[in-house]
Amino acid sequence: MESAEDWLVESLRLYQDFHAFDLPGATRVLEWIGDTGVFVAGYEKLKRNEILHLTLPPRLSVKENQGLLPERDFKVCHGGFSDRAIFDLKHVPDTRLLVTSGLPGCHLQVWQIAEDSDVIAAVSTIAVPEKEGSLWPRIAICPSEAPGVLHGAQLSGLKVVDLESQKVTYTSGVGDSEELSSLQVLDADTFAFCCTSGRLGLVDTRQKWAPAENASPSPRSSGGRWCADVRAKGQGPGPSIASLCSDGQLCLLDPRDLCHPVRSVQCPVSTPSPDPELLRVTWAPGLDNCLAVSGFDGTVHIYDVTSRDGTEGPEEPLFTHRGHLFLEDQGTGAAPLVTTHTWHPCKPRTLLSAASDASVQVWEWVDPRASR
Amino acid sequence: MPEIRVTPLGAGQDVGRSCILVSIGGKNVMLDCGMHMGFNDDRRFPDFSYITRNGRLTDFLDCVIISHFHLDHCGALPYFSEMVGYDGPIYMTHPTQAICPILLEDYRKIAVDKKGEANFFTSQMIKDCMKKVVAVRLHQTVQVDEELQIKAYYAGHVLGAAMFQIKVGSESVVYTGDYNMTPDRHLGAAWIDKCRPNLLITESTYATTIRDSKRCRERDFLKKVHETVERGGKVLIPVFALGRAQELCILLETFWERMNLKAPIYFSTGLTEKANHYYKLFITWTNQKIRKTFVQRNMFEFKHIKAFDRAFADNPGPMVVFATPGMLHAGQSLQIFRKWAGNEKNMVIMPGYCVQGTVGHKILSGQRKLEMEGRQVLEIRMQVEYMSFSAHADAKGIMQLVGQAEPESVLLVHGEAKKMEFLKQKIEQEFRVNCYMPANGETVTLPTSPSIPVGISLGLLKREMAQGLLPDAKKPRLLHGTLIMKDSSFRLVSSEQALKELGLAEHQLRFTCRVHLHDSRKEQETAMRVYSHLKSLLKDHCVQHLPDGSVTVESILIQAAAHSEDPSTRVLLVSWTYQDEELGSYLTSLLKKGLPPAPSGGS
Repeated sequence: MESAEDWLVESLRLYQDFHAFDLPGATRVLEWIGDTGVFVAGYEKLKRNEILHLTLPPRLSVKENQGLLPERDFKVCHGGFSDRAIFDLKHVPDTRLLVTSGLPGCHLQVWQIAEDSDVIAAVSTIAVPEKEGSLWPRIAICPSEAPGVLHGAQLSGLKVVDLESQKVTYTSGVGDSEELSSLQVLDADTFAFCCTSGRLGLVDTRQKWAPAENASPSPRSSGGRWCADVRAKGQGPGPSIASLCSDGQLCLLDPRDLCHPVRSVQCPVSTPSPDPELLRVTWAPGLDNCLAVSGFDGTVHIYDVTSRDGTEGPEEPLFTHRGHLFLEDQGTGAAPLVTTHTWHPCKPRTLLSAASDASVQVWEWVDPRASR
Repeated sequence: MPEIRVTPLGAGQDVGRSCILVSIGGKNVMLDCGMHMGFNDDRRFPDFSYITRNGRLTDFLDCVIISHFHLDHCGALPYFSEMVGYDGPIYMTHPTQAICPILLEDYRKIAVDKKGEANFFTSQMIKDCMKKVVAVRLHQTVQVDEELQIKAYYAGHVLGAAMFQIKVGSESVVYTGDYNMTPDRHLGAAWIDKCRPNLLITESTYATTIRDSKRCRERDFLKKVHETVERGGKVLIPVFALGRAQELCILLETFWERMNLKAPIYFSTGLTEKANHYYKLFITWTNQKIRKTFVQRNMFEFKHIKAFDRAFADNPGPMVVFATPGMLHAGQSLQIFRKWAGNEKNMVIMPGYCVQGTVGHKILSGQRKLEMEGRQVLEIRMQVEYMSFSAHADAKGIMQLVGQAEPESVLLVHGEAKKMEFLKQKIEQEFRVNCYMPANGETVTLPTSPSIPVGISLGLLKREMAQGLLPDAKKPRLLHGTLIMKDSSFRLVSSEQALKELGLAEHQLRFTCRVHLHDSRKEQETAMRVYSHLKSLLKDHCVQHLPDGSVTVESILIQAAAHSEDPSTRVLLVSWTYQDEELGSYLTSLLKKGLPPAPSGGS
């Protein structure tokens, strides 16, 4: 209790803004819809889960006269129920459709947000080739006039399925059963994949499978689990691909030469990470060369990876978000683990983070380097 | 009668005019009597014409219950009791009774003096209205009349706020008013026992929100105060005598201590005295922490917070001042506001809703130029912050309360049905109850199956037991008896007992049926034939031939007579009592089939 009060006082200086919420159930999903709404979804295996469409407190969206808006709460805009655990959720842009994936991993679920009520209802499923097991397909949306869903749990099963006709419009066609950790659609014809082994590739869907790839993982990786994030085009100079390993290694790569990382740093995180599947690295959409890393413990680290002269030693985070450790009311045994995070699309230093204790926090950190 | 009817009164879907009519077990109860702050005309009052179009409401309502002192729950009370007319009891908790008239008077002053309204309730009306109030304690069962009882439960939210259970016989309804499931610095959390009412009525205004944590709100407040004070500015916090002020003081005191801050914090004396007075009166309504501190020292003996003197407002340098009244409509807070408004380093933090017409309302609407008395224009350069500290239950809180009370059904008021379909499903699925969401003016009827206790006479029970079959706890057992309803008691007794008690004689019903037989012999011989026939057929029954020629089967009598017109026909008169109906009918149909031919060589 004492340390929580201390942290609260500290937080006055560390954060410009801070909101903390308790969801009915913990989420591994924070998916934006526009810049004022997010989706969250439960991942419990044995009980019914909720999918919620939340709108952010008006205070966060408005630019002027913030002081006159007292509301600091999330509003539940729409909600739905799922019997399966949901590990990933993607909104299909310009539609009222959602696609979710989870365990058991034998199919993807498509949902529709009702227009005249607040219900999210399941409408159809997309079959996937994976057998049941502990693997679940990663998903990404190919936005277009006829949107498609890119999905796969392994390289061999990678497909793009047209959402409406359910026809397969692309397939990797390889026999490689390497497990995928992330998929990201970059533009109409390109997507990136990252395997748990650290193997990365950029794929052009107009050609037969011939991705630009990195070589087999570097000897330093020691069997850890990898994930990656590709920065959107036109966002500043420097390497645009970041890949993170469960042993704390962070590699920065240029898409033109995936075999030779531009930089490789060691993050000061506690390893081994308790659940490597939760690891997440994301580029800041509004800041140059800033990354957020989470999944190792109950914190979120912000790194500035602008290359500077000097040693290649361990990188210190620019900012560490400890809100999930200090605002936890119950004081139960296990410390919460951050399950996911995301950057606000418009406010450069605002993030949302969720943890295993069902907390969701919206925070705007103060750049410690900014002069007072 | 075995149904509960609920009608939220008033037009429009807006929050801010809580007034709900409940009909239960033949009793009519009105829950809250709130004012809609957004309207200036009759729309701000609930529509009482629903109860009756003309005359006073005393005959139509058994009682009125007020949950807490917020104007959107009690603002229309004087209008209702004195201008429309109601003389029955008005129930509320002690703190509510103490604080209501103050707020009503404040509101009246603003409406009449500031906005120049006519046709508004007067100070005397407020006093007359409060004379009808009966104060209740928490968890105290109050008998409104012989059948209707009510009980108040702690609701948190504000000082004196209560949830009420209304009970008639075995049917009950729980009304939550506004409540809060998370304790804060000066109030505890709402609590109710597993009372299993037929219906739980709860506000759903915040049902679709997920609340920002208390600590974050406090953090925001501290940050604003700190930043202003750091740059040398002054912070004005207009407050009501009771409520958030105490909480914010405790918060600032803790913060000032920890940060070793030097800027003075002031609290206007009027506030201190009143607050102390009320908190002393209602100490049991605050939470554990406050109670402990109160025992040790006076609530407002803070190290860093001092009594305010109006001269201090002109002192240079940073300071924080808590002053009344809360909406900046008059008095000290308005005076200070006028002095500080022109400096952009200063800040005013409004901790709650402001009624239309007040300076508070105007600045919260974004106005930066105000016309004061004497045509003076005041330019607002100070920062205006609107902070909401009011504690309401969100979706999670509602689910918690439903889990505690275990109602059979849930009714949500003040929400838009289309926007709460998901919550309705959630409640229905999680608790397996029905969830209703009526619009204002719409009545929800809930069928109930009340259990009526009936006393069974010992004699009747013994007779049933004597029948030999053992009672089975799991199966219903059919009993025959007479139900006597006298005064308010129900008794089940045997018919004989009932007849005796009522001084009535038992009627005997006797049936006689005529069966025609073709037989030309004498009646005695016909009777003999009947006797032989029945004796051979009815081996299990007692068939007798009496000396006078009649035949009896058990207690059924059969006599043979001559037909008045046809000498070859005999008429059998079969007669039985109502109790022997079955056997009687059987015999009749048997005899109608005819007798076996007589042995030849008749006499």
